[in-house]
This record gives sequence, C-alpha cells and structure tokens, in this order.
Amino acid sequence: MTLPSLTPLTSEPVHAPSGPPLLEASGITVRFGGVTAVKNISLAVRPGEILGLIGPNGAGKTTLFNALTGFVRASEGRVTFDGRDITHAQPQVRAKMGMARTFQVERPFEDLSVLENVLVAAFLKHRGRAAENHAYDVLERVGLADRAAQPASQLNLARRRRLELAKALALEPRVLFLDESIAGLNPPGQQEMVALIRTLAQSGLGIVMVEHIMHVIMSLSDHVICMAFGELLAEGDPHDVAAHPDVIRAYLGDDHD
Amino acid sequence: MTASVTPARPRALTFGNVWISLALIAVMAVYPLLFGKSMNFGVSTLIFAGLAMSWNLLGGWAGQTSLGHAALLGIGAYTMTILATPERVPAFLGGPLAPWWGALIGMALAALLALVWGSLTFRLRGSYFTLSTIAVALVIRLVAINSDWTGGSEGLFMPELPRFLGLDLFDRQAEYWLAFAFVILTLIITHAVRRSRLGYALQAVREDEDGARALGIDPTRMKVIAFVISAVLTALGGSLYAIYLQAFEPHTLLELPISVQIALMAIIGGRGSIQGPAIGAILLAVFGEVFRTVFANANLLIYGVLILAVTLYAPDGITGLFTRGGRKLGTAR
Ligand SMILES: Nc1ncnc2c1ncn2[C@@H]1O[C@H](COP(=O)(O)OP(=O)(O)OP(=O)(O)O)[C@@H](O)[C@H]1O
Ligand SMILES: [Mg+2]
Repeated sequence: MTLPSLTPLTSEPVHAPSGPPLLEASGITVRFGGVTAVKNISLAVRPGEILGLIGPNGAGKTTLFNALTGFVRASEGRVTFDGRDITHAQPQVRAKMGMARTFQVERPFEDLSVLENVLVAAFLKHRGRAAENHAYDVLERVGLADRAAQPASQLNLARRRRLELAKALALEPRVLFLDESIAGLNPPGQQEMVALIRTLAQSGLGIVMVEHIMHVIMSLSDHVICMAFGELLAEGDPHDVAAHPDVIRAYLGDDHD
Repeated sequence: MTASVTPARPRALTFGNVWISLALIAVMAVYPLLFGKSMNFGVSTLIFAGLAMSWNLLGGWAGQTSLGHAALLGIGAYTMTILATPERVPAFLGGPLAPWWGALIGMALAALLALVWGSLTFRLRGSYFTLSTIAVALVIRLVAINSDWTGGSEGLFMPELPRFLGLDLFDRQAEYWLAFAFVILTLIITHAVRRSRLGYALQAVREDEDGARALGIDPTRMKVIAFVISAVLTALGGSLYAIYLQAFEPHTLLELPISVQIALMAIIGGRGSIQGPAIGAILLAVFGEVFRTVFANANLLIYGVLILAVTLYAPDGITGLFTRGGRKLGTAR
C-alpha cells in the first residue's frame, strides 16, 4: 500500500469518535523544582478521536505528553487507561498496554537499519519472522519501505519523522501521541502526514497530537486544548478555540513559526 | 502484479556472519594437528576466547562494562573444585560430586549472583555498574582468602576426577576439545542473541534507554538477562580453567588483572563484532607468547601499548577495521 498523495485538507474532521474514553487524565500538574510546567490539565481521548494540543513554545505540551506516557512523574493528578489507573506506571508498561508516542526530537537507533528500528518495536507483539514481516508492513504504510535496509542515521528529517511514526505504529497501540510530527516538513510532506493521521484515526486509533501549525490542527482535530505557561487557556471545538481572544493573544505575543 | 516481480524484502533477522565463526572453528580444529606440542597454550587460549565471548554478551551487547568477571570465573572454579574434593564437600551431599554437576551448580550460583547484583545496580544509570563489579570482585576475593572452606590464601588443589564421556580430564588433548566446545557454545549463543528479540532490545537499550522504554522494553530487565547469560558462561569457563590449572590460589584467579584481561581481549578484538572477542583473545595470547621470549613479563607493557593503539586507531577493535559500513553488532553481517 502506498500513501494517498496530496489529499486536499478538508476543513472538518471526517469521522465520528465513539465510545467511552480510552485515556483519561485529570488535574495533571508537573513541577520541576520551583517551575510549574503543567498546571491542572484534564483531558480525555476516545477511540478514533483526534485531540489537538496547541500553545506557544514552552507552554508545557511536551511535558504533559511525558506525564501521560510515564516519562516524567506527575506531581498531582491521575491518569487512567482503559479504566485502569496508570498514574505511576513505567513508560514501558504503558507501551505494552497500548500507548505509543513519538519524540519531538526524533531519536532513531542510529546503529540500526530502518527496518531494524521498527523491528525493535514489532517484537512487542510478534516473534521471529512474523515480527520482521510486521515491521516491513508498517514501513510500507508510512512510505519508508524503499529505505528499509538503509542505516537510520542516513535519513533526512522528513523520513526520520516517518520512522518515529513507524516505530510507534509497530507497537499496534490504541492511543498514539504525536509530538510535532508535521512541523518542519515541506507542504507535500505535511499533506501526506495529515492524510496518514486521518486514516489512522478512522481505523479507531485515539490520537493526541501537538502541533504548531494552526491549519493542520484545525483540519484534523475533533477537540482542541490550548495551553500557555502550563495552564489551560481554552478548550473545545477547533474553530472556537482558534477564535478565542486569549488564544489569539497568546499566539500574537509569541514568535512561533 | 506477480510474486516474482515483487522485489525481495530486506531481511533484518539473520544470525550475522556465520562464515567467520566457521573459519574460526576450523582454525581451532586443526590447531592440535599442527601444534600438538603446545597444548597448554592452546587450552588456555581457547578458555580465554570463550571467556571474552561471554564477557561481551554483557560488555558489548548490553554495553555494560564489567571489571569483575574474575569473580564469576572464581565461582565456577571454586564451586566445582570444592564439591569434587572429598575433604571439602559439605557433609549433606554425602560425598564428592562429579565435576559436571559441580560446574552446573557453579553456573547456577553465578546466575543467582548476577540476578541480584544486576537488579540492584542496573537501576542506576552511569558507571555505577562498573564500579560495583570491581567492588564485588574484591569482596569475593577477600572471602576466598580468609575462609577455610576455600583453602584460604593457599587456594585449592584439584582432586582425582572421574572420566567425563570417557575422557581423562587431566589429559591436555581432552581439555583442548572441552575448551573448543566451550568456545563453540559461546559462539552459538552470541549468534542466537544476534537474531533474537533480546539482541535487538539490548542494542536499543545501549543506544537510547528512553527510546527503548517507549517501545515497551524494560532496560533493567534486558541488562539483567544479558548479565545472567554472561555470568553462567563465565562460571562454566571457570570450571574448565580450574581443571586446566589443577591448582589455583586467589591471588592468581581472583585478581583485578584477570578481569581486566578478559575485558581487554573483548575490547581489543572488537566488542561490536560477533567473533571479535574470541579473535582478540587469540591475538593477544599469540602476542604474549611471542613477546614472552623476547622480554619476560612484558605482558602488561604489551597490553598498555595495545590499548593505546586500539583506542587511537581502531575504536571498534581489530575486527572493526575490516568491516566498512557495519560497525556495530546490529549491522555486523
Ligand atoms: N526536565 C525538565 N526540568 C526542568 N524544566 C523543564 C524540564 N522539561 C521542561 N521544562 C520546562 O518546562 C516548560 C515547558 O516545557 P515543554 O517542553 O513542555 O514545552 P512545549 O510546550 O513542549 O514547548 P515547545 O513548543 O517548544 O516544544 C519549559 O519552561 C521548560 O523549560
Ligand atoms: Mg514540545
């Protein structure tokens, strides 16, 4: 399978998320010493739902991601996944339960080939040849199959982003966290990524994505949360959030890309 | 589109370069025919080749440098010898144990030690593990020197041993083939790790622990598994070494230089390659033998020079010089 190329960006989400929330976070606060990076944020993600997270640089988006995926300890608050309390679970335990993330600064295993990078993740649910085949299938899905044998260290930025996504998808997660997977790509690359993310949501995956590019967030998200200085600024329907005076002020006062 | 048009998928799951291993095995197999008079050298070289391979499962694959493998070697040697000696074997065992049972018990003890030791130290990041290996080896050496049941500072003598599979264990020829089997075992295990989930998980952990955790891998658990395998094989090598030595004392068997020697053989040979450690052990042994006749006791000097040369000119070890693209274990074909 190849990527649906150049799908025009429609202005409305094309799918309807359903069912009870898969992931729920309530009152998440993260402090680093005296700095409060995230302050009392709550959110919920249903299967098939895309939750957009926006906010100026340093707003605490990545830190919130880290708290949800277990890479930093939340000072306050509670996270449940599929009804189970995972507030204190290790990242690898959350990954096994069905939570996958990408890193804002991509981190491929540079010594391994592209296929081997994905294989490391494919081993979570498969063994032997089945894992290898699964890894290759995922590479086909993200359009990296032709690079399978290449060392991961040789990939350019756009392909490193796709590799990040491939590794996360190879875990066969139920919720996917994407930390700026689109920013920095050229327009065709952006559109391919947008189309892929939409396909993933349609297949029932819950997605939480951080993105600076407004029109991307607007076109993809079912629900948007805007943060600034760790706090919730506005939340709701993408267009309402974009039109919110506080959000406009936060973005105008910030030299974002 | 027909299947024949579909380009072949690249493979990641391979055993690595099996040919180098087969060549190595062939060299080891013909050695007794060519150098039948130098069997002492052959046996000790092969034992250290196997020990360096065992070390590398932890030092190369898991990226955890141990400078205390002499302790694990000692556990294998002491356990087997004590249990085989009628005057030393604990009374409840009702008599001396055959060396193979003693070796297995030594391996079990080494596994248990590695399990506890690794679980405690791998949680800490950085060089804590390496420091702990020096400390644990020191403690074990002190226990061996100061206890009666270990023979104190005098050490132990190997008692009469029963025949093993019809082999006289004090015959150098028999010992050679046992050491040969030991090296092959470590090679097979390393090839198997290369192809396994464990091998890939270890490489991921070695490069980026958080990146690995995001993919559902528990770094501590993977390192502990590598350590246990390494410890079990090292203890087995220790039992063999004890038979070869016939008498040993803590000052020779449990000292830091033994640990350093095992580590250096692997590092100089190339911890990024499957067979590198064995090749390193063989090259160092040959070097030592050649230069021993030129200037006695110059081993340390040679090691020093080699370490400098390797770190300056071949940071991936000697085998790293011969692999162009694939420097590391994962891409080593
Ligand atoms: N480990 C840490 N220790 C101390 N402070 C931290 C740590 N991680 C993040 N911070 C601080 O927390 C705040 C939020 O950072 P975070 O990376 O979450 O922002 P962000 O919204 O992802 O920004 P960007 O859009 O630039 O990626 C920043 O002030 C940052 O300096
Ligand atoms: Mg960020």
